[in-house]
Amino acid sequence: MAILEAQGLKKIYTTRFGGNQVQALREVSFSVEAGEYVAIMGESGSGKTTLLNILAALDKPTSGQVLLEGKNVTRIPEKHLAAFRREKLGFVFQDFHLLDTFTLEDNIFLPLVLGGKDYREMSGRLKPLAEKLGISALLKKYPYEVSGGQKQRAAVARALITRPRLVLADEPTGALDSRATDSLLGLFARINQEGQTILMVTHSVKAASHAGRVLFIRDGQVFHQLYRGQETNEQLYQRISHTLTLLTTGGERHD
Amino acid sequence: MTRGLYRRLAAGNIRKNGKLYLPYVLTCIFTVAMYYMVCSLSQNPGLEKMQGAQTLIYLLRLGSVIIGLFSLVFLFYTNSFLMKRRKEELGLFYVLGMEKRHLFRVLGFETLYVGSISLMAGLILGVLLDKLLYLCIVRMLGGGITLGFFLSGEVVKNTAALFCGIFFLIYLSGLWELGRSGGLELLQARHAGEREPRSKWLMALLGLLCLAGGYYLALTMENPVASLALFFPAVLLVLAGTYLLFTAGSVLLLKMLRRNRKFYYHPRHFTGISGMLYRMKRNGVGLANICMLSTVVLIMISSTSTLMLGLEGMLKSRYPQDFMFTFRETHGEQGEAWIEEIRHFCTERGCIPREEMQYKSLVFVALQEGDTFRVEQAEDILTSVNIQELFCVTLEDYNRLMGEERVLEEQEILVYSNRETFDAPVLRILDREYRVAGHLEDFFKNNQTASELASTQFLVLPDFQELERLYQGQKAVYQEAASEIRTFYGFDLEAGEKEQAVLWEALSEELRQKGFPGKMENLSAERPGFLGVYGGFFFIGIFLGVLFGVAMVLIIYYKQITEGYEDQERFVVMQRVGMSWEEVRRSIHSQVLMVFFLPLLVAGLHVAAAFPLISKLLLLFNLPDVGLHVRCTLITFLVFAGLYVGVYGLTARAYYQIVRRPADR
Repeated sequence: MAILEAQGLKKIYTTRFGGNQVQALREVSFSVEAGEYVAIMGESGSGKTTLLNILAALDKPTSGQVLLEGKNVTRIPEKHLAAFRREKLGFVFQDFHLLDTFTLEDNIFLPLVLGGKDYREMSGRLKPLAEKLGISALLKKYPYEVSGGQKQRAAVARALITRPRLVLADEPTGALDSRATDSLLGLFARINQEGQTILMVTHSVKAASHAGRVLFIRDGQVFHQLYRGQETNEQLYQRISHTLTLLTTGGERHD
Repeated sequence: MTRGLYRRLAAGNIRKNGKLYLPYVLTCIFTVAMYYMVCSLSQNPGLEKMQGAQTLIYLLRLGSVIIGLFSLVFLFYTNSFLMKRRKEELGLFYVLGMEKRHLFRVLGFETLYVGSISLMAGLILGVLLDKLLYLCIVRMLGGGITLGFFLSGEVVKNTAALFCGIFFLIYLSGLWELGRSGGLELLQARHAGEREPRSKWLMALLGLLCLAGGYYLALTMENPVASLALFFPAVLLVLAGTYLLFTAGSVLLLKMLRRNRKFYYHPRHFTGISGMLYRMKRNGVGLANICMLSTVVLIMISSTSTLMLGLEGMLKSRYPQDFMFTFRETHGEQGEAWIEEIRHFCTERGCIPREEMQYKSLVFVALQEGDTFRVEQAEDILTSVNIQELFCVTLEDYNRLMGEERVLEEQEILVYSNRETFDAPVLRILDREYRVAGHLEDFFKNNQTASELASTQFLVLPDFQELERLYQGQKAVYQEAASEIRTFYGFDLEAGEKEQAVLWEALSEELRQKGFPGKMENLSAERPGFLGVYGGFFFIGIFLGVLFGVAMVLIIYYKQITEGYEDQERFVVMQRVGMSWEEVRRSIHSQVLMVFFLPLLVAGLHVAAAFPLISKLLLLFNLPDVGLHVRCTLITFLVFAGLYVGVYGLTARAYYQIVRRPADR
């Protein structure tokens, strides 16, 4: 069953002066099945951040629709949007977006507090999660006191604690060193195996090679997609690199 | 060559960080201007012409000292916002290979530039505002103000010296902070929360003690003239107590709230409490600043407006009759002659004296000890707590004026008290012992009570011989400082202000030429003098009230704006994670509410504690009307609270717009 469906998404930005129109998304359609781990790849400017913002209901498409479990996200009224995001989606950002004013624990609790959950339930959910992510000892620390990798784990915990239908990750390894990147990607693979649906936007081949399926987006369109099948990460890595090379050279020929 | 580099670097830093530096520099300028204005007021030569000048000058000098202290705390406070942000950049220089001593030099030049700009602009602004405010208030009160515009090199020098000192201290504290932190710490300074003060329990306890001490001094001060020396310690204690309690107390309170999970993990409190804990020290100091300024504004405006509004009532009790004459009763029969002369003078000009009053009285002071009134020459007699004024009249005068027919035996007296009742059966004074035959409910109106600070006992003596006896007795002790038996003659006239003035002019001139041996008083003639004095106080009250009020608004605004910029990213993240605008708005509301109404509450408490003291100070100006003072204080508080709510609304909005802005992009 498709958990997420993007149908004919189109986004046109109008610059403030002169009315120049920029087409960020031309025509994007794809779907994500429950339990899938999908990576969306593209160079900067290809429209992948715009796509993610629309999927997260942070931005509205010019036309087209996004269905999450069959429900049209773009039609949700403004006042229910925050609750929708909180309950159905989990977010992991490139620069973590942890709040300096909170301990890691309180950062993780944030969406639950906003949802009005009581403390016992929150700490009940946190305990196994923190153990799984290896941050149990860090919970009372403040973000500026821990490393980037640890921050990103806390951010993952914050995304997972609401038990979202879908985790949206925006360049989650972008600010991490290679060791932390490996560890985070391993973590993503593990939670995916436990059934969590993940949609990740990245331009890192390495990050994408951990996914079950890779979508390539260029000039505001889904250009190509690769399925992992039975391949290992390394094999998928090779194929992604190859496809990227093809896309670039092929693209030039068309222009 | 390198020296030029640091200078240029410093100037460049200030320019680059304009958004951070501008509010800081503006605050510095305003603080300098404020200090200058208050100092210049306290040195104004016009002050010395005012009634109670010494007290007033003392209070104003005290005020300048307090504002000096306040400036120190306040500038440190605003600088801490700046330093937190600046550390990151300085840390970057450090990581890029500058040594600490080079950083010190850059910081030194930055401080130098900011300091000299602030000082210069502040002094200019101070002089201009001084003049402007002066003109505004003179226009408002319609002249009659004895205070002129005043510019003094002395004050300029003092202000410059003080602020150079403050900026130097700020520089030193900057060195200290830079010196003790490593490069990485500097880079992360912006994200790090403030550490809680180590001895917060001790601080809170000390604050409580200071506050209790200050309140105790204020509430137990019997005689403000005698205790003026205690006034300063009381103010300092309350000031220190407020700062300690707000910094330590607010941390304790917030931590307690955070420990209460049910309260803390609530959408409306979660972000607010953590935000306040994050900057707990600055938060505490900021709140204490607002609280102290509110207190000062409230006290200034309420007391001086009481003075102004009480003026007419005071004049009525001080001058119960239109024309009043008091003269020494040494010429025997001649007393009647003077009265006849005055009466004749008026009737001749077609004005018939009405409600005529005439009596003889002896007024002198004594120290009360139980039922005994001691008459003795002591150094401290005027400042003693037990001092009582004795107002002695004969039974004959009393009965005539009150229309009663009381009878007194030998050695018997009647007593009337205006403040402290006398309830012993016997009253001893000098070598006499009187039986108190009765306590009077009422006494004829006279000009003696209202003009004196001390409590008065009115004694009705059986006959003139007794009055003579007391007169001789106190004369033997007080000698040249002794009181005389005086004859009072007063009456009303059925004539307009103008006619009265003309008649008064002529009559007083005539009497003066004939050598009238006493005092002549006319309400209309005295009013302008009083208006000048009281208006002067009102002027000072409004002047300082407006000044501090503006300072308070600026502080509130500054606090909200700077915190708004700090919180901007935070609210973006919270929205991403799933906080709706409605929730953001509500959380801001609850945070600002908690922050803002605490200072107002404490300021109200301070004003209440100061109330008895201020009431007693007002007595110095012949204003025994406590009811009026209560009304004025309440109204001032309500109006102030209203304005405060307005400022709160505006700043909450400004804050809201700042944190909202990036989300709209």
